[in-house]
Amino acid sequence: MVLADLGRKITTALHSLSKATVINEEALNSMLKEICAALLEADVNIRLVKQLRENVRAVIDFEEMAGGLNKRRMIQSAVFKELIKLVDPGVKPYQPIKGKANIIMFVGLQGSGKTTTCTKLAYHYQKRNWKSCLVCADTFRAGAYDQIKQNATKARIPFYGSYTEIDPVVIAQEGVDMFKREGFEMIIVDTSGRHKQEESLFEEMLAVANAVNPDNIIFVMDATIGQACEAQAKAFKDKVDIGSVIITKLDGHAKGGGALSAVAATQSPIIFIGTGEHIDDLEPFKTKPFVSKLLGMGDIEGLIDK
Amino acid sequence: LLSYFRGIVGGKTIVLADLKPALEKMRDHLISKNVASEIAVKLCESVATSLEGKQMGTFDSIASLVREALTQSLVRILSPKRRIDIIRDALESNRGGKPYTIIFCGVNGVGKSTNLAKICFWLIENDFNVLIAACDTFRAGAVEQLRTHTRHLNALHPAANHNNRTMVQLYEKGYGKDAAGIALEAIKFAHDTKVDVVLVDTAGRMQDNEPLMRSLSKLIKVNNPDLVLFVGEALVGNEAVDQLVKFNQSLADYSSNETPHIIDGIVLTKFDTIDDKVGAAISMTYITGQPIVFVGTGQTYADLKAINVNAVVNSLMK
Ligand SMILES: Nc1nc2c(ncn2[C@@H]2O[C@H](COP(=O)(O)OP(=O)(O)OP(=O)(O)O)[C@@H](O)[C@H]2O)c(=O)[nH]1
Ligand SMILES: Nc1nc2c(ncn2[C@@H]2O[C@H](COP(=O)(O)OP(=O)(O)OP(=O)(O)O)[C@@H](O)[C@H]2O)c(=O)[nH]1
Ligand SMILES: [Mg+2]
Ligand SMILES: [Mg+2]
Repeated sequence: MVLADLGRKITTALHSLSKATVINEEALNSMLKEICAALLEADVNIRLVKQLRENVRAVIDFEEMAGGLNKRRMIQSAVFKELIKLVDPGVKPYQPIKGKANIIMFVGLQGSGKTTTCTKLAYHYQKRNWKSCLVCADTFRAGAYDQIKQNATKARIPFYGSYTEIDPVVIAQEGVDMFKREGFEMIIVDTSGRHKQEESLFEEMLAVANAVNPDNIIFVMDATIGQACEAQAKAFKDKVDIGSVIITKLDGHAKGGGALSAVAATQSPIIFIGTGEHIDDLEPFKTKPFVSKLLGMGDIEGLIDK
Repeated sequence: LLSYFRGIVGGKTIVLADLKPALEKMRDHLISKNVASEIAVKLCESVATSLEGKQMGTFDSIASLVREALTQSLVRILSPKRRIDIIRDALESNRGGKPYTIIFCGVNGVGKSTNLAKICFWLIENDFNVLIAACDTFRAGAVEQLRTHTRHLNALHPAANHNNRTMVQLYEKGYGKDAAGIALEAIKFAHDTKVDVVLVDTAGRMQDNEPLMRSLSKLIKVNNPDLVLFVGEALVGNEAVDQLVKFNQSLADYSSNETPHIIDGIVLTKFDTIDDKVGAAISMTYITGQPIVFVGTGQTYADLKAINVNAVVNSLMK
């Protein structure tokens, strides 16, 4: 993931600060320049990068700061805080409740990996003895129902869909109602890919959400996305109540920095990452442990709380 | 008045330091338009090289000179050195008694199968009949996806309207089989039954998945297609560079051919989802030097366009 790769670069950049004989504006600027270049190469939104740079600068006042050690500490802590902000929106993700029907709706851009990830998530819970199932509310994409059907059959996950019904709202409603009656605990609704430029697709997403009244809406983002992510993520959030983010295709070379704008734009945490095409290529994601591991410093919490 | 004259440094010889602020702004601007950052940097460097040492005219400003030079180089990058004329080449193949074959490749979920179907529609409208080879034998639903498109396309263009020629057929052998072998059979079938064009769909693959890249290289080597199209989405950021570099490298390295067949052209998809952040068009053409043959602008068969270089450059410079 982006920050994992950045970890090294940032450590190097901060290290250069420790070696500098004087810590002044110039040293700070050159460190920030290095960090920002690394973030941009990882597709982090340019506005967020600029903001990070300004926020760090704003808290560092060279006039007021005393000794060298203190300066270093303050700068490090300011950089860490800003980096953490990129992955941590500061809200707790929805926690599914065992023994109850949890309705999870998947949304996202075309081809981001929704359908694949739906099955992965159902399988993840099924393995942990939750009664999981899938509803295919994508009536648009050619072969969408067959895709879910084949995936679900292979994993022995019950599924609902239709070859003839063309209204995704009807299918979503019927499927969710049926599985609720049958006492399923994890009811996952897959929807078509869509984008903000096509209003009717967004209206359809809202109609599906209103029909099934989901406990959580998951926004699925592809790790290779660049600068267009922010506007799309924001538009999705404005239309439906997104609660979590999943970033897919992190098994490739992509660092996933573009997809992080989805965290900022939706104010929602990443809960899983997709790391391959197979059904068990899904890893739970926990922000705080990830960040401390990344920065490789045990006392990071101590550092940033000051 | 003072501010009006500030930008005008008439008659002066341009040195690098004069250019720096304007170039940094331009670089950030290009990045914000989704040009890969490495390429944004290189473009600005080449603008610097072209302007350094030049004499400024009385009414020139650094900013406008930079803009002008950059605009020119963007147009140059996007203007193909080589035109790919599929219609002409397919006709020529057919005259020689052979089907014209296109292989589509790219990473996962970018729109290979959908845009293959759109290109099929375009070919049918140009009176070619087509065989679609279902060589994605991995992803669930991949075969049914193509079968659905085949059905829709035949409904739009029934044989009755085309001298009783079935305009599109699907060649499929289900899942789990060797893709290269299926393509070979499909091409042979097309040859024997006088089908004009074969469109080969392949599974999406990550550019550094070696086994999958090897098998793509084999597919291309064994089948010797007329055209290899790389399908990339306009949404992609810095990864555009790595994808294309590694697809080309793999096709070259794993083919064990003296003159390996690498990517001939690009299909740029999902152009309707990015507003004015059109930078991926630059990243992809800069890296390959190959033309964008088609632009995908939506999810219907008609959403297939040729690239409009000036419109793209205008969006970039806006
Ligand atoms: N390598 C890799 N491929 C993935 C991952 N997740 C999904 N894919 C692939 O991405 C492609 C698109 O996935 P889908 O699940 O069909 O995407 P979608 O969002 O449902 O697509 P639409 O329904 O058309 O919008 C498929 O080839 C998947 O196998 C991942 O984590 N890693
Ligand atoms: N908005 C928009 N969506 C597109 C475009 N081209 C393809 N799509 C959508 O992108 C999604 C993925 O398309 P596919 O054709 O299945 O992609 P693929 O590359 O074949 O995917 P895999 O075979 O799984 O790797 C589908 O929902 C398509 O409808 C386009 O130009 N614009
Ligand atoms: Mg889907
Ligand atoms: Mg496909």
